[in-house]
Amino acid sequence: MLNGLDIEGRTLLHRLPVRGKLVLLFTAAILLFLTSDLRILGPALAAAAVLFLSTGIGLREAFRRVRFVLFTVALVAAANYVFVSPREAAAVLCRLSALVLLAAAVTATTGIPAFMDEVARLLAPFERLGLVRAADVSLAVGLVIRFVPEILARYGEISAAHKARGLPVRPLTLLTPLVILTLKDADTIAMAIDARGFRRH
Amino acid sequence: MDIVFTAATVSYAGRVALHPLSLTLSERRIGVVGLNGSGKTTMARLINGLVKPSGGAVTVDGLDTVKDEEAARGKTGFIFQNPQHQMILPILAEDIAFGLKNRGLDKAEIAARTAAILERFGISHLARRRVHELSGGETQLGAIASVLVTGPKLLILDEPTNQLDLRNRALIARTIAGLPEQVLVISHDLPLLDGFDRVLVFHEGRLAADAPPAQAIRAYREIAAC
Repeated sequence: MLNGLDIEGRTLLHRLPVRGKLVLLFTAAILLFLTSDLRILGPALAAAAVLFLSTGIGLREAFRRVRFVLFTVALVAAANYVFVSPREAAAVLCRLSALVLLAAAVTATTGIPAFMDEVARLLAPFERLGLVRAADVSLAVGLVIRFVPEILARYGEISAAHKARGLPVRPLTLLTPLVILTLKDADTIAMAIDARGFRRH
Repeated sequence: MDIVFTAATVSYAGRVALHPLSLTLSERRIGVVGLNGSGKTTMARLINGLVKPSGGAVTVDGLDTVKDEEAARGKTGFIFQNPQHQMILPILAEDIAFGLKNRGLDKAEIAARTAAILERFGISHLARRRVHELSGGETQLGAIASVLVTGPKLLILDEPTNQLDLRNRALIARTIAGLPEQVLVISHDLPLLDGFDRVLVFHEGRLAADAPPAQAIRAYREIAAC
């Protein structure tokens, strides 16, 4: 859910430390999965929506950010409707949507550097055991988030190029050039990381 | 600052990208021109250790780019052909600050230095902008700021006016001209090198000419005409 789109603000959620927000999100996730009672899940969904909107994001932008994930949630709920029961479908819809909105609220109030710092801090014990290099993992997390818009833009360019050449636009045919170009970019990005001295060898 | 190439050569899978090169660069403004694949970028990447010499050595301010890799790299900043690729964090000010944070500076100093470099390049208004939304000229300025904030003595720019419109090209040319740091520019934009102290011409992996701009560019035009 993080895509470098934190909203500046001074709400309570903005002021909470990243770790606090992640702990709350994790706790909420557990609690939401402990119940299937719609009398609890319904209000939880409403509260999550209010919390997300309270970040100052605005209705249109809020919807734009979560629409694809909510669409996926709707598909999962539809599958539950068909194969399990309407009640279970409603519970899944409320539970997962509430989680998505809570995660989006954390995203909207957390800058990438703060998130990277927290990842590095959380991994520090593993680094002491020689299992990972915390700074590298946090940099990798930051990079993924940073370059998502670039990859989407590239997908758009390849798609436009296919249309311009009169070729059918199919996700599978777009995927090959997208992967090749993304890997090529990754080489340059890796070199840039070295050039800027972000990794200690 | 002196950059010294001593019979430095680069080969990839048996193909020689740069034939043995020996020269010392100490001028403030150095241009590098040549046809595509002539060895310009390889030569520039040798300077900050992004490419390791297959033979010979390169030193920057007396530091060997292989043995003293990190220290030598700290002396040079590098702007890639597509500066978008070197902006690691999504917000410009965050990206600039990230370079300082990696050097262990405290928060107050990071904030002060970030604000100062944005001010220096007249891009304070872009501080909170997302880097993937910046225009070509803004991206180039942002990348230069993010590299210079860490205080390298030499700035290497690989085709800095590539894909820029006339206004942004002029902006970048003015910016480069005004930099107090030593500058090495690889470019196909020949007017950009007007007023430079020295221009190197590469051809097929060899240094073909090494002269003041007018003379070097004449040599380059002759090569390109063949």
